Parts: sequence; C-alpha cells; structure tokens
Amino acid sequence: MTTRKKYLLTALGGTLFGIVLVLAALYTSNVTSTNESCAACHVHPEAETSWKQSKHYMNQSGVHTDCAACHLPPAGTPHYYWAKVKIGFHDIWMYLTHDKEDFDFESKRTEEYAPNIVFNSSCKKCHANLFPEGITDDGVAAHLYYEENEEKLGLQCVSCHLDAGHFIAGYKHEKMTTAPIDTTGPVYTEPASVTSFSNFTETIPGTRASINMIAVPGGKFTMGSNKGDKFSRPDEYPAHEVTVSPFFMGEVEVTWNQYWAFYVETMSEGRTKPEVIYANNSRPDVDAVSGPTPPFGMPDQGWGMGNRPAITMTHYAAETFCQWLSLKTGRHYRLPTEAEWEYAARGGTDTPYFFEGKPSAYSSEGLWNSIFGTDTTTINRYAIYALNSKNRTQEPSRVAPNPFGLRNMLGNVMEYCQDWYAEDAYEKADASAVDPKGPASGTDYVVRGGCYHDDASELRCAARRHSDYEAWLKTDPQNPKSIWWLSDMKGIGFRVVCDATINP
Amino acid sequence: MKKEGMSRRSFLTGAATVGAAAVAAPALLASCSGNGNKLTPLKKEGEYYVPELPDKAIDGPELKVGLIGCGGRGSGAIINLLDAADNIKVVALGDVFEDRLNDVRNRLINERQQEVPQENCFVGFDAYKKVIDAGVDMVILTTPPVFRPEMFKYATEKGVHSFLEKPICVDAKGYRSVMATAKQAQAKGLSVVVGTQRHHERRYVEANKQIQAGMIGEITGGNVYWNQGMLWYRQREAGWTDMEWNIRDWVNWKWLSGDHIIEQHVHNIDVFLWMSGLKPVSATAFGSRQRRVTGDQYDFFSTDFTMENGIHMHSMCRQIDGCSSKVSEFIQGSKGSWDSETNEIKDLQGNVIWKYDDEKAKQEFQVHDPYTLEHVDWVNHIRKGTAHEEATDNAISCMAGIMGREAAYTGQTVTWDEMTQSPQDFLPEKLELGPLDLASMTVPVPGK
Repeated sequence: MTTRKKYLLTALGGTLFGIVLVLAALYTSNVTSTNESCAACHVHPEAETSWKQSKHYMNQSGVHTDCAACHLPPAGTPHYYWAKVKIGFHDIWMYLTHDKEDFDFESKRTEEYAPNIVFNSSCKKCHANLFPEGITDDGVAAHLYYEENEEKLGLQCVSCHLDAGHFIAGYKHEKMTTAPIDTTGPVYTEPASVTSFSNFTETIPGTRASINMIAVPGGKFTMGSNKGDKFSRPDEYPAHEVTVSPFFMGEVEVTWNQYWAFYVETMSEGRTKPEVIYANNSRPDVDAVSGPTPPFGMPDQGWGMGNRPAITMTHYAAETFCQWLSLKTGRHYRLPTEAEWEYAARGGTDTPYFFEGKPSAYSSEGLWNSIFGTDTTTINRYAIYALNSKNRTQEPSRVAPNPFGLRNMLGNVMEYCQDWYAEDAYEKADASAVDPKGPASGTDYVVRGGCYHDDASELRCAARRHSDYEAWLKTDPQNPKSIWWLSDMKGIGFRVVCDATINP
Repeated sequence: MKKEGMSRRSFLTGAATVGAAAVAAPALLASCSGNGNKLTPLKKEGEYYVPELPDKAIDGPELKVGLIGCGGRGSGAIINLLDAADNIKVVALGDVFEDRLNDVRNRLINERQQEVPQENCFVGFDAYKKVIDAGVDMVILTTPPVFRPEMFKYATEKGVHSFLEKPICVDAKGYRSVMATAKQAQAKGLSVVVGTQRHHERRYVEANKQIQAGMIGEITGGNVYWNQGMLWYRQREAGWTDMEWNIRDWVNWKWLSGDHIIEQHVHNIDVFLWMSGLKPVSATAFGSRQRRVTGDQYDFFSTDFTMENGIHMHSMCRQIDGCSSKVSEFIQGSKGSWDSETNEIKDLQGNVIWKYDDEKAKQEFQVHDPYTLEHVDWVNHIRKGTAHEEATDNAISCMAGIMGREAAYTGQTVTWDEMTQSPQDFLPEKLELGPLDLASMTVPVPGK
C-alpha cells in the first residue's frame, strides 16, 4: 500500500468515525431528552400528574409540551448543550447520592426557585406572540408591562404563570371572593381593660379577633454588632448602648384572623386612587380608616390562614392596621421602632441569638457546613427558617418563646419597623439615646428578623434589612402600583406594639 | 422662496441651485468639508420602513372591499382606493345613518359606475360586523375613532386587511386593544395601513431618509404644530336623539374624537415619534376652551413631552378663527434641523444643506396625493402577500396624544406608565341611538 493510499484510508476512516461520533452524540442527546429519560431519574410522580393537569398538556389543541421544552434552553443552541451537560451531571449526582425523601419538591415550585429550572428563552421561543387572539384587556395590560419592563426588572414568564407547566390548585388569578374570616367564638364589645403593666389580651370590639400583648419591661441594651462578629454587616456598626422605655408587644406576628377582621371593616374598592386614601386616613378627625383593596389572587399563597402570620401587605397597610386598631381600642398601637424591636428580640440576652449557639454552627453557608451539615437542634425549637420551614410560613405554636415570652421574633416572616432605613443610622446614633426613632426621612423602611426561607445567619438579632419598593412590586402591572399588597415578596409581616399607658 | 435663513457663508448661492443640488448635497458636503466629518446614520438603510410609492398599485386578481363609516373621510378614502388600484370592487357599506350611507352609494354609482347591492348596505352600530362578514378581502374603517379598536379587532379575527383612518384609539383601553390586534394582524400576514398620510408623502419620506442617514446628527428635540381656524360643528336638530347628535357632531365630543390633540394633531406628533423612534415618558400640558359652540372639547393644547432618552418635544394645536395658522413639524438635531414647512434641512449656521426636490418628483411621478399613495402601498402589500402593519406605531402616537390631553384636562403631569395601564375606556356600554348622560359631558377644568 502506498503512503498516499494510507493517508486516504486514514482520512476516510477518520471522517467515518467522526460522523458516527456526531450521530451517536445526537442520538444520545435526543434519547436523553425524552420524557421517559427524564422520568428515569425524576421519580416524583406528582410532577407528571400536575403536568398532565396543566395547560401544557390539557388544552384545546391536544398538543403537549415535553419536559425538555421548558426545562432546557431552546434546542439546538449552544446554551442547550451546555445546560444539558450541566443539568445532566447534577441530576445523576443527586440521584445517586440522595433519597427521594431528601427533596422538598414543593419548594421548587415557587416564583423564587422556578426561574432556575425553567428557561425563559424557551417560553418565548414557542410563545412568540404575547398578544394572541382572545386575550383579555387585563392580559394585554400585563403583557405590555412585561415587554416594557422585562429587562429593567428581570421579569420572567413564570413570575406570573407559575402554574403553566405544572398545575397548582388555587394559584393566583383565582380571585379571593370573600375574606376567610374566623366565625367561631363571641364578637367582642369592649376593648381590654388594662390596669397594670402586665401581659393582657386585647379584644377588638365588633370583631372576633384578639391579640395577646406581652409587657416588655424597659431597659438598657447593646444594639448592633461589633466589627468582626461573624456574618455581621457594616450597617450593624458600631454596637452602641440604647435605652428603651417599657411597652407592650404582640406575642406573635399579626395573624390572618386579625388582619381579615381589619380588612372586612375597612376595605376600599378596587383601584381607589392612593391620594383619596392618603387624604382620608391623614385627617386628624378620621373616625373610619380606609383599608386595603381586594388582593390580587390568594395572599396566603395557599399555605393556610388562621393563626399563620398575615403576609404580603405593604408598610402602609401595616401602619393603617395599627391606626384602625388604635381607633377601635382607644389605645395607641403602632409599629415598633427598630430599637424596640431589637431589644424585644434579644429578650435580655447579648448573644447573636436569644438562644444558645453560634451563627457559624447554624448557617448553611461555608464549605464545611455545606459538606458536613449544620447543627439544627436548638435553633429548630425557636425559629422557622430555611432548614425547617418547608419553604412556607408556619403556625406560631410551632416554636418556643424567647425570654420575654415573644414568639417568632427570629424567622417565620420579616417584620416591619416604623423607622426609615439608613445604612449609616448607627454611626449617627446618639450614645445616650433613649427611645431612638431612626432617620427623619428615607425611601425604604427597616425590616427585621429574617424569614422562613432565610439562612440562619440572617436570623441574628442584630441583622438589619429594609423594604424594597421596586423589587417587591416588580410584577404589579398597575399604575400606580398597589399601596396595599406586594406582588413579589412573601416573607414579610409585622407585629404591633402598644404604648405602656395604663387605664386609670 | 425665502432667503433670510441662508447666511453669507452658504456655499449654495441661490434658490435655484438649492433645488437642483438637493439630492447631491450630502455627498458634496462630505467631500467639501475637508475635515473628514462623515455622517453617522441614526438607522441604516433597511432598518427602517421606506414605502415604495409608484403612481399605481400593481395588477392582480379582484379585491373586494367594504367601507365602514360613510362620512366625508370614508367617501374620500373609497375613491382614493379606486384611484390607487384597478380591479377593486366595493361590495359592502356600513354606517349608523342611512342618509350618509346613501350619499356614498350614489357617489359610487355616479362617479365610478359601481353599484353596491342594497342587501350589502348595513345600517346600525353592528353594521361593521355585517360588512366584514359580507365576503370582503379588505375594509376601510373611517367611523369616529372611538369605535376603531373593536372594528380593527373584528376585521383581524376574520383575516381581513384593514385601512385605519387616524386616530386609531382615543383612550387607554383602546390603545391596549390596538396593540394586541396589531400583533395578531402581523402574525396573520395582513396588511394594515393607517391614514397618517405623511408616511406616504414623498417629501416626508425623502426627508426621513436624510435624517436617518445622519444629516441633522442626533435628534435633540422638536416642535410640532397644528394651528388652524375653527372646525365644523352641527347644532342639534329636532328629532335627533342624544347619540345621533353626538355622532353627527363627533369632532366636538371627546368620547368620540379623543379631542383634536388626537383627532387631528396626532399627524404632527406622529411625525416626531416616527423619525426619532422615541416614545414619550411624560407629558405636561395646558389647554382651554374659549370659542367652541358645541361639545365638551378644548380649543387649544400646548404640551411638553419628555421622551425616553430625556429630550423634549413640544406640541401645540389650536382651532380658533382669526389667529395665524401653522401646520408643520420641526426637528432639531446636533448638526442641523429639518422643517417640513420649507422641506429644508439646515446646518447649525442656518445654511440650507438639503431641500426636497419637488420638480424632480413632478417629472418622475404623476400621482402626488398622499391619500392615494397610502392606498397604493396598502394594495401592493396585499397583492404581494407581504405582512405590513402601521397600527403599533400609530397607537403609540395616539397614546402620546392621550397623555397630552389628560395632562391638559387635569393640570397634572401624566406618565406613559400610568396612562398605558389606566382603566380609561370611552366606549359606552350600550350602543344605540338613544339618550346619553349629556350632563356628565362637561368641559374639563384643570386642577380640580
């Protein structure tokens, strides 16, 4: 055989080998993109059931959309193959190293998590026309809003259509028709009589709702963190002494039962202009406050109402609740100051949490804890957070109280304070401050206490955060946006405090 | 021709030269300036729509057309269409009033020897559905504009090509409806042309090419005008219901016309939005009523628009007798300006560096009437089977007008976000020739 022939044969063999390899790769890619192939590892049959109940299976056209159409980028793009390799390895690894019971599949079906596993580019590849025939005026309004704000606000299709691929019973777009108000027990006629500075139960006249109030003795404490404290952030510096006067504070975060009592008495008609509401509620002689408009969808997210904390209200709504409660009871209810909140949360302790243990032991952050797991025994008794919440709020009875008798100061939902937030508020704090009230003005409010999906490091007594108007309302297409309900923040609630004035 | 605008430094020394050198001017400039200043295009050729504007539409199989809205503009538009293309058959007419419908029917018989069968002449608020369902390929919609969104939607659902007289929406809900329908029309491959005829007027199309080529530099602002004398009105006649009076006097009622800042002045606002490619983000305006006899509209508006990139456009419109008239658009750029009143582009020193060559166009074409040419373009897209829709851009221009109107009516600054999402809906729930709540139709008072 001549050298020339050898070359030719080698070239031919190489080409054939290449073709076979490419065909094999394509075949593998196709085979591993079928529903059957997905189901080989994804052994959670509820995913299949809910898919079959969804619009992507059960529809007039009879066409169904397979797993890979949504859970991978558009087929044939470089992103597609890269995502396939990445997700493939991840899924096989998880399949081999974990049990099915280790997964909380419910938590994957949230607006927060879904964008990680649903590719917006794939949604838009099929849904090229966002204004199909038969779309309603509300639909047009929402989709025009999406097109104009997609990039600016990072909107995703699943931000509003979370149930498109897998059916979710009671998902929003179902409108709440009547407030699910508690109808058991007597209707109160009188507010509580408070004759001494001790715990009492406020009874809200004209409703069946009551609120357990804890007497929090006044005192001096160290607010904030020192540089070097694990997980502390600059807005917590410097640690400084603060004195607070006695006050009463709700034992638990305001519950749905309490919130609906407020809602049914004060409800404003849909789309009432904010100016009209502000004008009414700020009148010095107001005798009936204007309260929330009907919510968009089910504000409890389907998690249950009752004694679970009311969530997704705006700071203005929380303040209006306090205004209403004050009018109903003749006592001055309000949101806590940030100093009162932290003092109450600490319950006389000066450790990162009011219970034993260090943030570094409880946090899932850091390589060590992510490999070897975290200690959960103590924190689990006192707080609802990422590792025990099942990604939703829980009933307050689930946790034990802090030394003052307050439950859920850390975790479950974040709580509004009355103070404006400023990153440098502590630097400007007066060293001998008594009942400080924070900056005179600002754009966002202080929120404290961490929530159900937070890592333990966010649950530290000193950790500070703030409201975020734009992000928390980013999918609300109305203009002006709702002043009552948040469209994009679920882990927020509030608790009331009451001035420690005693009935004569 | 005015010469005051031309300075000593102009290298073009006379009006005659200006005309002749118009098309060659950019090339001349580029080569003569010597400092290597090349024009930076705002948009490259092919990135923006330039209509072909032949004298007549191409031949093709017979097209059946329906006309809905047999008023002055409707009867004009149907004749324009018949001028624009051969082999067009008018097969159905619709109007709320029989007398207006018969005017058009008779005109077609006398002037064009086309007799629309009596059974295809529909009278009533639902006439539009009957016309569209009468087997038409294309439909001309020339009713008062408040009805346009619903009719456009129905025509598009039925796969019928639409000619939409401007304006195409007068309230927020109408805007959203048109935006959605326009997408559907595009998806169905339909041809939708809007009666903002400057898009089919050669002097505008040519000026736009120069502006897009970068002759005035980056657009930095503009002023647009429609100042004219009083418009027509009709006093109520015995036996007319409220609705009949309103519709016969429609250019004086805001729910029907949207007020003249939209009904008429949208032409000029639209030119700035078209050439700049910008949307307004907010509008601050004032306006008032001094002379109008009927209706609830204003006589004038003056509006400052802030555009999405922060530049400003000012618009004014007036319908009052005895004042100076001005209907034109002016666009300022970083290197020069264009004025549709003179069809000239000037540099920043006031030298005319381009002028539309009217003589050349007269030699090249027979038909110059943009009302005919817009129908040429409409039929050509239909016969060539190329999807084309102008409704999206025009709806945005109408929304700008809506913002200006609401800003003047309320005295408040109105934003794009607020207005596009507003529940505002002017269409009455019940459409019939009966009573209306006329007491509620009052002239708006700002600040209240």
